[in-house]
Amino acid sequence: MNRRDFLAGAGGTVAAGKLAGSPTRRQSLSFCDCALQPQAAVPPGAGALASVGSKVRITNLKTFGVTIPGAPPDRPYVFVKLETNEGLIGWGEGTLEGKAGAVLACINDFREFVVGADPIAVEHHWQSMYVHSFYRAGPVIGSAISAIDQALWDVRGKILGVPVYKLLGGPNDPEGVRGYYVANARTLDELKRLRETAQAQGITAFKGGLPNYYEWIETNEKITEAIRHVETLREGLGPDIDIAVDFHAKTSPTVASVIIKELEPLHLLWVEEPCPPENVWAMARIARRVNTPIATGERLVASYGVRELVEKAAVDIIQTDANHVGGITALWKVAALANFSSISMVPHACEGPIGMLASLHVDASIPNFLIQECCGQAVPQVRDKVWEEWFGFPVMRMVNGKYPLPDKPGLGFELTEDALKKYPFAGSRPMARVFHKDGSVAEW
Amino acid sequence: MPAPLNPRLEMVALDAFPVREPVSKRAYTCLRLRTRSGAVGYGECSRLSPVDLAVLRGAVQGKEASSFESIRRGLTASSAGLAGLDMAMLDLVGKFTNAPVYQVLGGPTRNQARALARLEGETDNGVVLAVAQARAAGHRAFLIPVPATHSPNHSATLVNATRQRLDRVRSAAGEGSDFVLDAAGKLTPGDASSLAAALERSHLLWLDEPCRLSNLTAAYRIASENVTPVGFGRFATEAGVFQNLLRNDAIDVVRPDLALHGITQSRRIAAVSEPYYVAVAPFHDGGPIATAAALNLAASLPNFFIQQVPFAADEQDRRMRARLAGDATETVKDGFLQLPRGPGLGISVNEAAFTEYRESEP
Repeated sequence: MNRRDFLAGAGGTVAAGKLAGSPTRRQSLSFCDCALQPQAAVPPGAGALASVGSKVRITNLKTFGVTIPGAPPDRPYVFVKLETNEGLIGWGEGTLEGKAGAVLACINDFREFVVGADPIAVEHHWQSMYVHSFYRAGPVIGSAISAIDQALWDVRGKILGVPVYKLLGGPNDPEGVRGYYVANARTLDELKRLRETAQAQGITAFKGGLPNYYEWIETNEKITEAIRHVETLREGLGPDIDIAVDFHAKTSPTVASVIIKELEPLHLLWVEEPCPPENVWAMARIARRVNTPIATGERLVASYGVRELVEKAAVDIIQTDANHVGGITALWKVAALANFSSISMVPHACEGPIGMLASLHVDASIPNFLIQECCGQAVPQVRDKVWEEWFGFPVMRMVNGKYPLPDKPGLGFELTEDALKKYPFAGSRPMARVFHKDGSVAEW
Repeated sequence: MPAPLNPRLEMVALDAFPVREPVSKRAYTCLRLRTRSGAVGYGECSRLSPVDLAVLRGAVQGKEASSFESIRRGLTASSAGLAGLDMAMLDLVGKFTNAPVYQVLGGPTRNQARALARLEGETDNGVVLAVAQARAAGHRAFLIPVPATHSPNHSATLVNATRQRLDRVRSAAGEGSDFVLDAAGKLTPGDASSLAAALERSHLLWLDEPCRLSNLTAAYRIASENVTPVGFGRFATEAGVFQNLLRNDAIDVVRPDLALHGITQSRRIAAVSEPYYVAVAPFHDGGPIATAAALNLAASLPNFFIQQVPFAADEQDRRMRARLAGDATETVKDGFLQLPRGPGLGISVNEAAFTEYRESEP
């Protein structure tokens, strides 16, 4: 089947095929006076790579906004479903907090990169989506690429008949992937109860946060309160449970340094995002002045986005998110970059279940993996019930401190559109907008 | 043919009124800028020579009050009065647009401004007294001097004396008080670094001017060897110095002197600090018109933290400041100054006070 025949017979995808062009009706790119014109616009999967690719073709791309109860309202899930001429299905996720509408639109902007294409060549499509976006990817484009990339990996795994982690050389540990939950306890009593729960379930690590919003210089009162808060975490959870503390970029390098210096005796597993992410040098300044491991990266896109962090040895842990960094392809590459500089990987994941399951495949196969987030709690929440209803198994629920790995091909789950219909898209909602007492803008 | 000048903005007269506080002897110069239509804007600067005043008068002729940038760039030498002229021009622009200066500049970014009382005192007792007095006047944050030990490179003496002073002022000031320790550029880099290291857990707001700015390497070492925040700025006459400090990791608080940089240049310095996540706390040791300018600046900045205000310990000085620009401008409640609400700088300047407190010609 040549490409033209294939598209002609593919019903709803004809329009996309027309836009993408064909060798005989090549799309003209001479709309500008650019000095260097591209030599040819070859649609992915067609033409040049056809003879060395697979026979599978993507026939449709569908996007889904999904709003479930019990999840933060700023992050309705953004899912993408790829359908193929072989009947194989691929699911991916590009949930981006506060920007669901933008990512849904951006995924659709990539439609002609995908429909008609051969799903086996994920790297090729990743490069095309990234490079041919010209301006390079920020979080919206990064999340859209992530969704499509995960879905391509899902299809690829199914074509090749193995779980994705096996395509990546894993698993490192057949029992699964080490994880941690949120320490949803503040008082000493609550924390002590959480410790008992953790010991009963085999949970080995928790993450907490800071109790306030901070200006770029802070008062004695707020700094002292922050230190006491983390000291209470350690006191309640005891010496043998690992504790990470997410500063969530609420602090400046200045304030973070003051606080972390005093937390050193607590031997935290890491301090996360001690300052906002734009200035690598500022992040490095904190890392140079304290001994506690520093983690960052959830807001970064592609290996290009972390290069400077790695080069400057600014941090100990990188936390790119499979839903934003550019999917499995980019998360694996970031891990490679980090590995050569002895930096550990703790992939961020605080959105929907598909991105988290996709993360597990990378986690299970990289040498510098430390632990995987899921933003769940020791006691299952509403979202966990919805996820189990969708997938038919407990999603991101640890057994003896580890998330079990799937053994089905691809990302390792079945999901139907019908399952999602119960939770229609309630629209984009902004992330929390928080302010200091004087009305000025605060980081949260 | 250029468009005719708007008479409500066309600047026609600039006058300077040097004044002096009766007790503290703090001196500053009030500027009055008049437009063709008779509108008046006020600014404040440090002492202004007759030559500088003549230069500024020449520079404003035939220009509108909104054209500060072209005037600034047109002056070949930096003028002592430029910062004050900037305030006066913005005052006029605000009055023309019937909006507070902070609105003209894109604010408000906040509804009040944290205040930092600058206190004097040779001895611990003197500083403790001043802190208690400022606390009673509504202040919660205090800029206090590092004790003079007169024994450089003997950091143990310095650290002990400073700890003692901090302990005493902390207990005098009570709960919810914060401190900036002012080294005023007088310490050796080694002493400054030892002091900063010793005070890491004291949670100072910051250590101010730990050493002189002429040796950037020394400044960098102080900031890298410990986590005590450091502030610099009052000796930085050239605004670009801040960028150098920022990119060398040598500064946690930028402290542009309002009397040197005015509102516009201070905004640029703040803009440079923002991508380093560094806060702005303007230095201000002048009069109440500049305080009003500072409040307008504060409410236009995203990264403002605190505004230094001179604490007038003597009743006579307080009366003078209130006579000049009204009671409300420098009133502090629970550690915060309120924003002016009126157009321009938002103060009514009482010109009778120019005469009453006129500084006699030197």
